[in-house]
Formats: sequence, structure tokens, C-alpha cells
Amino acid sequence: MFSISKEYAPPFGMIAPFFVIGTIFFFVGAVLLLFLDPLKGHFDPRIAGWVHWYLLGFVMMVIFGAMAQLIPVVVEVGHHSVDLYYVIWPLLTVGTLAMVFGFWFVPAVLPYGGLLVLVAMLIYLYDTLMTLKKAENLTLTVKTAVAANLFLTAGIVVGFVMSLAIGAGVHVDVAWWLGAHAVLVLGGYVVLTIIGISLILLPMFGLAHGFDDTPVRRAFDLMLGGVIVHLFSSLIGFSAGRFLAMLVMLAAIGLYLWQIRLIYEKRARKENDIWFRSLAFGYGSLLLAAILAVVSLFGEWENVILASAWFLIMGFVTFLITGHLYKIIPFLVWFERYSPLVGKQKVPMLHEMYPKKMADWEFAMSAAGVTVAGVGILLGWNDLYYGGVALLIVGAGFMLASVKWMLSFGKGENTEKGNEHV
Amino acid sequence: MCNITKEQVFDAIRNVIDPEVGFNLVELGLIYDAIIDEECNVKVVMTLSTRGCPLHQMLTQWVKDAVEMRVPGVKNVEVEVVWEPEWNISMADENVRKALGAL
Repeated sequence: MFSISKEYAPPFGMIAPFFVIGTIFFFVGAVLLLFLDPLKGHFDPRIAGWVHWYLLGFVMMVIFGAMAQLIPVVVEVGHHSVDLYYVIWPLLTVGTLAMVFGFWFVPAVLPYGGLLVLVAMLIYLYDTLMTLKKAENLTLTVKTAVAANLFLTAGIVVGFVMSLAIGAGVHVDVAWWLGAHAVLVLGGYVVLTIIGISLILLPMFGLAHGFDDTPVRRAFDLMLGGVIVHLFSSLIGFSAGRFLAMLVMLAAIGLYLWQIRLIYEKRARKENDIWFRSLAFGYGSLLLAAILAVVSLFGEWENVILASAWFLIMGFVTFLITGHLYKIIPFLVWFERYSPLVGKQKVPMLHEMYPKKMADWEFAMSAAGVTVAGVGILLGWNDLYYGGVALLIVGAGFMLASVKWMLSFGKGENTEKGNEHV
Repeated sequence: MCNITKEQVFDAIRNVIDPEVGFNLVELGLIYDAIIDEECNVKVVMTLSTRGCPLHQMLTQWVKDAVEMRVPGVKNVEVEVVWEPEWNISMADENVRKALGAL
């Protein structure tokens, strides 16, 4: 009989809630876009509330779940204290809901929600950093993970202080610190994490080898330097330093995109599956977001800033996450339900464990929705924005249904029934 | 004197399928060597397509189990994962390269 080592793998029941809750936040977040008015600008509390709903409830939730599985295999050691993940998702869920309630209805609730989110993230950071500490091989991925998590720590502390300013009257210039908070969390954590992990996942799924990785190494250095310069410039109130830091971070994104091109050229696996198409759309969106960000540096165009943020979050971050959900969830389900059967009976392949037609519809509707709504934001044409959001809601609905389908694959089936899938 | 051949070991490992790409490890070119000593102890030298592969532990365990189960007379089986030479698609069989679109 085949045996299996589960030393590095956290239990399925521990990680699955991150993906289920994250996808629910994604779908509801798409619906909530209907109640926003992009013409009001990024300081509008409704937009701020929605951004926290989406980034904490969907983006962070899914990244944390993915990291629970990925970090141990990347650093080749077990989690420091994996059971902590059982408390992270409930704290993050309740904290996010409270924060959004605070933004939208009762500002006094904001610090309490912020505190719950802070605690959830500190627990995540504790386990992650203690696990990374055990790494013997300091690869670029390990370095990016360490840097990203330290930036996340700084970012959530800044965010918590801001929540005290909004909800409890602590004297802090919220408008000034908003920039530092966004750079630390989005640039310092989300983008840096994606840079580090994509260096593992893209060659792995695309079977790409023998590419030059100099651009991504320089991208890491520049992003690291850019976030640090931005933080210190914020601390001393130095606007020119923040401007310079933005240019450096944009250069980092340019180099990262160049690296993606090098990996793409060397990939041996040419199939254009849902994973590949999602990533292609995501990287196209990142390029567009970077171009719009460069334009926004030289003028006071609120719609350009919002459109850049839209394509960064809804195009790049969202599609990189949704594309990988079609890889990660089937793997987790396969690992849980089929890996013990290897050698005893025929087991399904991973590509058979996601709903292809539903995924095609999810991609088509979401991509069309993000594009149309993004153009609407850029042109200040709200009808176009709401039309795009309607398409995105349909796409997010397909994503939710796909996740349910994938998590249900083979559920409750005995050994004999399991064979029916293959 | 041991009568186990490399072919027997490789044939046993042909039953180990990578669930991500759907090919067995031998046709993927991941098995570099099988060293058999006089006492029928077997050492499989293999690589993985990517460092940090989530299937790392499982694949090496399956290789060990496959040889132990399917090769008669085998004593101890050891699996060593090496990173030199680095795997690339040219090491895979032609049918694999064709199916993946690499040809």
C-alpha cells in the first residue's frame, strides 16, 4: 500500500474556510460595487469601506489560506504552530465586517474592527516569520516573504492608528498616512508576496526552466527600497521622497513584468487553460495600472488614480488569485480525498477537478466586467462603470459556484464511486 | 548476487503519475538513475520539475513504495532527490513534449 507524508501539509478542514469565505467576500464585494460612486474620489468612506471589505475579506483571506499551504513547501520545513490558522479566519472575518460597518455606518466601531484584524494578522505574522526563521536556504522567495510580512506589520499598525483617528478622535493626519498605509499593504505586502510566490508557481505550472532571473532580483531590490523610502518620507513629511519612491516602485513593476515575459518565453507547457488566461489578463491589467499610475504622478486627475487602483486590484490582484484558485483548490481536494488512494485505484488528474465551462464563463464575464467598469471610471462615465460591475457580478457568481463545485468533488464518495470520476 | 535490473525498477516507477501533468515520472525524465547493489538494495536518483513543488514528499514516497511493492526480491529502497543536472523539458519523452506543446 502506498503511504503518504503529511508533515508539511496543514489539514484540509483548516484551510478550506479561507477559500470559501474569501470567495463569498469576492461575490458580495462585486455586488457592493453597485452602491459606490467612483466620481466621489478615493477619500469617500463608502469606497474606503469597500476597499477593506475586498482586500481583507477576499485578497488577504485567500492569500493567508494559500500561504498556509505554500510557505512550508517553499522553505521545506513544517509550520511553527499551524493550529493558529484555526483562529485567524474567524478573527479576520469578524474584524473585517466590523471595520466595514465602522466605515459605512458607525465610525466608533472602526477601531474595534481594526483591533480584531490587527490581532488576526499578528497571529499570522508570528507563525509565518517563525516558520521562515527555520529556512536553511535563503532563496529570493524566502527573502520576499520576510520583507513582505514585515511591511504588512508596519502597514497594519499604521492602519490601526488611522482607525483610532477616525473612530476615536486620535489626532493623526489620515489623508497623509493613507498613502503610507496603501503603499505598505498593497506594494509592500500584496505585490511583493505575488512577486515572490510567482517565481515558484509560474515556472512550476508552466514548466519553464533556464530563464534569467536578474530582472526579478532587481525588481525585489527596487520594491524593497521604494517602500522603505516611502515610509520614511511619510514619517518626516517629505513629499518629494514619496514621489521618488513611487517612481522606484513603478520601475520595480516594469522589471517584474519583464521577468514574466522571460518566463513566458521559456515555458514548455503551451496550453491556454483557465490559469494561463487569468494570469495573462492579470499581467495586462498590471501593465495598464502602472501606465495610469505614471500618468497620475504628473497631474491631479482623480479618475486616473482610481482607474489605476481599479486595474491593480480588480485586474491584477483579483485575476492572479482567481486563476490560482483553479490550481490550489483541486490540489487540496486531491490531497485530502485521493492521495490516500494512489496505488490502490485510479485517481483523477488535477485538471479534471475544476468545472471547465463554468470557469470559462467566470473568466469571460469577469474580464469583460473589469475592462468595461475600468474604462467607465477612467472616463468618469458612471453608466459604463455600473454596466461593467453587472458583468463582474455574474463572473463572481460563476467563481463562487466553481469553488463550491471544486470543494465538493468526490465528497462523500467511497472508493468505488471515486473511480467514476476517472 | 542480485538479479534485479534497472529496467525492473524503472518499470515499477512508471506506475507513479504526476497528477498535475498526467504523465509518469519516467516518461517525464525525472528519474535519473537506479543503483542496485549486490544485496538487492536499491537507490533511486531522481529530480523534480521545480524546487518547492508541493508534491515533493508525496512523489518521493510513491517512488519508494512503487519499487518496494512491484520489484520482487528488493530489500531496502532509498530515494535521493538531486538538483543537478537541473531538469528541463528536453529530458522528457517525445510524447510528453508533444502533448504539452513543447515540440
